[in-house]
Amino acid sequence: MCSACGFPAVPGHWTDAGAKTPGDRLRLRFIRLASVNRLLAPFGLTAHDDGATPGLQLIAPDGRRELVPDLEALWSAAARLGGQAVDPLSPRALGKAVHDRSQ
Amino acid sequence: MTARSDGRLPLTVVGGFLGAGKSTWLRHQLHEGAFARHHVLVNEAAETPVDNLLFARAWRLDTLAAGCACCEGRAALVAILRRICDEATTSGIDGIVLETSGLADPAAIATAVATDPILVRRITIARTITLVDAVSGALQIAAEPLARAQAEAADVFVITKVAAADTHGLARLAATLRTLNPGAVIMAAERGETAVLPDQPATPWDLPPLVTLTPIRPHRVRVGDAGGWAALSTWLSALLFARGDDVVRVKGVVETPAGLLLLQSVRHLVQPPEILPAHGIGLAGPPPERGVVVLIGRDIDPDALALSWERFGG
Repeated sequence: MCSACGFPAVPGHWTDAGAKTPGDRLRLRFIRLASVNRLLAPFGLTAHDDGATPGLQLIAPDGRRELVPDLEALWSAAARLGGQAVDPLSPRALGKAVHDRSQ
Repeated sequence: MTARSDGRLPLTVVGGFLGAGKSTWLRHQLHEGAFARHHVLVNEAAETPVDNLLFARAWRLDTLAAGCACCEGRAALVAILRRICDEATTSGIDGIVLETSGLADPAAIATAVATDPILVRRITIARTITLVDAVSGALQIAAEPLARAQAEAADVFVITKVAAADTHGLARLAATLRTLNPGAVIMAAERGETAVLPDQPATPWDLPPLVTLTPIRPHRVRVGDAGGWAALSTWLSALLFARGDDVVRVKGVVETPAGLLLLQSVRHLVQPPEILPAHGIGLAGPPPERGVVVLIGRDIDPDALALSWERFGG
């Protein structure tokens, strides 16, 4: 934790375990971006990592952006921006026919 | 249980419905030398503290009489756990045992630890042991949502007061617990002494639906080798965010670039994963299968689960 700003408030999200060395962490960060985007795509959202800013930028189709520190915050922000939780088991994520009454 | 390499103190939660025999069992365990060098913390829902003499064999003992630790006594629990952690360097304890009140939901205790910025760095929940009364346990699980939540959160069941129950009833209770929480180990005890469970097939009791309508079922996801950690952690964190109330437990040992990782969760909460020693020392019981994650939950379509992992896990 940074003693000046107190961030992060907890010792890393569990998804950040599994990579100890700086090289592994960087690799994890970029490989994960692809996985994140595969999950977000059916919900019309994208994530972007510019390599310099810590955390991920979540982008909604209407241009809203949110900077999130970890995956927990990402899914929470995605549910808010997308209007529904990014559920990997949902018909929408699995590409099955979804009856959308608005159309 | 010994202290972990990362310095977090293991916390064992001993729970179970009112009158399940938690104190009797724990006292006997302490008498037999289990939980040596552990700080014992006893919580009573009632405002009367337990008789400290009951736990004369405890290495260190505190009682929490400020109400049930998972709800109104939560602040007191957090305060006392913080104090125990602060003293840990001088007291040299190896771990903490918390005997909860009969009204506590172990998942709420896990949440209290995980959401406290200090405790989350100092404590890890090692095991949840749920005691079930051999005679009235089945009825409690059938009728009380809380008894069912306690059963679902267990890593280990101890069926108590077995001498008072008949063999067939015991076998049915064990079968019921196995249906409710397929991942947990089931043991039996009489006045704290380990007893033998009948080894006969039995039909589980029909559990009437409480809040939710479907029983929880175990699902296995084969997640493969080290390269899959990025995809697995992404997929699983999304799944738990969206369906944490349905996915009651996740357990698994997975390979990552940092080594073998022990992954476990209770509902939305994932324990900070522990890196296991490569040679497997330090694990109690048989080593879990590598590269397989067990999801225990309800309303999970096995086909959707397999398709989802295939689509997002690769």
